[in-house]
Amino acid sequence: MRSVTDIRGDFPIFSQHPELVYLDSAATSHKPESVIAGITNFYRSENSNIHRGIYDLAAQTSAKYEAVRQKVASLIGADSEKEIVYTSGTTDSINLVAHGFLAQRLNPGDEVLISAMEHHANLIPWQMVCKWRGAKLRIIPLNAKGEIDIKTFQGMLSDRVKMLAVVHISNSLGSINPVEEMISEAHKYDIPVLLDGAQSIAHVPVDVKALDCDFLAFSGHKMFGPTGIGVLYGKAAYLEEMQPVRFGGDMIRLVSYEDTTFAPAPQKFEAGTTNIAGVIGLGYAVDYLAAFDRGEIHKRMKELRAYALDKLREVPEIRIIGQSDHCSGIVSFMLGNVHPHDVATFLGAEQIAVRAGHHCTQPLMDLLEIPATTRASFSIYSQEEEIDRLAAELKNIHRFFS
Amino acid sequence: MNPRLKELYQSVILKHSKEPVNYEKREEAGQHLDAYNSLCGDRFHLYFDLKDGKIKDLSFHGYGCAISKASTSVLVEFLEGKSLEEAREMAREYLASLTEEGKTDELPEEFEAFGAARDFPGRMKCATLAWEEMVEFVGKD
Repeated sequence: MRSVTDIRGDFPIFSQHPELVYLDSAATSHKPESVIAGITNFYRSENSNIHRGIYDLAAQTSAKYEAVRQKVASLIGADSEKEIVYTSGTTDSINLVAHGFLAQRLNPGDEVLISAMEHHANLIPWQMVCKWRGAKLRIIPLNAKGEIDIKTFQGMLSDRVKMLAVVHISNSLGSINPVEEMISEAHKYDIPVLLDGAQSIAHVPVDVKALDCDFLAFSGHKMFGPTGIGVLYGKAAYLEEMQPVRFGGDMIRLVSYEDTTFAPAPQKFEAGTTNIAGVIGLGYAVDYLAAFDRGEIHKRMKELRAYALDKLREVPEIRIIGQSDHCSGIVSFMLGNVHPHDVATFLGAEQIAVRAGHHCTQPLMDLLEIPATTRASFSIYSQEEEIDRLAAELKNIHRFFS
Repeated sequence: MNPRLKELYQSVILKHSKEPVNYEKREEAGQHLDAYNSLCGDRFHLYFDLKDGKIKDLSFHGYGCAISKASTSVLVEFLEGKSLEEAREMAREYLASLTEEGKTDELPEEFEAFGAARDFPGRMKCATLAWEEMVEFVGKD
C-alpha cells in the first residue's frame, strides 16, 4: 500500500487545514482530488440530463452515468450492472428494500431479525414495516464484548423469519460481524439477507458473490465519494420481484391515464431526475478505491485500532466500548465521568475532530447503560501522529475535569 | 488547552455539574417537565409544585453533559421560589444573554458563564435545554 503521506496528498482538505486531526471518517470520509475534479468537470463540461436528450452531450452523459453501474458491480463482485440501483444513500437503500420488497411478503405473525447493534437506518424501516403488517421485529443479542451472540442467533432462525438485516461493521463499536456464517445459516431457511455495508465498503473486501448476501446497502460519501448518492445491490431475481416505491418519469415502460407498466430493474427504482453529478462522483470514487487492495486497507485499519488502543490505555479512567477481537478502524470510548459531548468540545477546540453522541444507535446505548460515547474513526489517510495528539489531549481533559 | 473553553467550564459549569442544586427525583411533585434533546439524548426532569402562584420545591434529575446539567442546576437555583411572572422574566433574560444582542453588564455571574457558549455554537442547545422547557411551561410573554 502507498505511504500515508502519499495518500494524504490526494486529499485537498489536509492542505486546506494543516492543523486538522480528522478522526471522524465513520461519519464521512474526505474526498480525493480526482472525485472533486470529476464532479467539477461534469458541471463545467458535461452537464446535461440523462435518458432524455438525443443530442451528443446528453448521450455521452447518459453513457457515463450507466457506465458507473458496471464499475460499482465490479467493485462488489456483482453479476451484472442490472443489480445496481442508485439511491440517495444507505438509509434510502434500506427503506427501499423494507417497503418495496419486504412489505409485500410480510404477514401477521412473521418475524424480521436485526442485531442489537444496528444504527437507526437499519432498525426503524423494519420496525415500521413490522408494525404495519402485524409482524414481529426480533433483536439478536450481543455478548459482553459487543459481538453478535451466534448461538442465540441460530436459535432465532425459523420459517417464520422473512428477513435478516445486519450491519457488516458496527459504526458504534467497530465490531466486524461474522456475516458469511450468518448469511449461510439464514439461507438454510430461505431467509433473504440484507447487509448494511456503510462502514465496510471502503475498509474490507466486500464481494457479494462470496458473501452470498441478497441485498447490500452502502453510501458514496463513506467511500470517498459525494454525499446524497448511494447504492442498493440486489440479486436480480429479487429486484425483479420488488415493487417501486417512488413513481414518476424515467422509471416507466408504458403510461396511459388508466395504467402504467414499469421499466425493468434497476430503472424502475429511479424515478425523476436522479443525482447525476452524484453518480458521476461515485464513479470516480470507485476508481479511487479500486486502486487499493481492500485486504491491505483492512490490515491498516486493524493496525491503527491496535495503535489507538495502546495509546488510549495510557489515559486515566478510559473505558473502551466494544471489545471484539474482530474490529475495524473505529474506537469508541468513555473518559471517566466526563460526558462525551464535553470531551468532543475540548478536542474540537484543539482541531481534533471526533464524533460524540449515540451514533444513531440509541437502543444500543441503552443496552450498554451509557448515554453516549466519544468515537475516533480512521481511514486510509489516518496516521499515528493524529492518535498521539488525541491521547495527549484526552489526558489534559481528564486532568481538567478531575 | 483553549482559554475561552476553560473559562466557559471553570467559573460555574464544573461547580454546578459536580454539585448540582436540588438534584433529586420527586415523582410525587405536582408539576413534571421533561427537557429532552433527541439529537444527543440529554434528558433532565424538572419537578416542582405550584403554591400561591409560585414555583416551590424545584428539583431536577437526569443525565446529560456538563453544560446541560449545570444550566439546569442554575435554573433550579434561580427559579426556586419565584412567581411564574418572575420566572418568565428571568428565563427571558437568561436566554437573551446567550445571544450577542442580549448581552448586558448586569447579568448574574452564573448567566455570564454560559455566555461563553456563544463561541461554541454546537453546545448552545446544552445551555438552553431546560430553560426552553421551562419557558414552554411559564409562557413566552
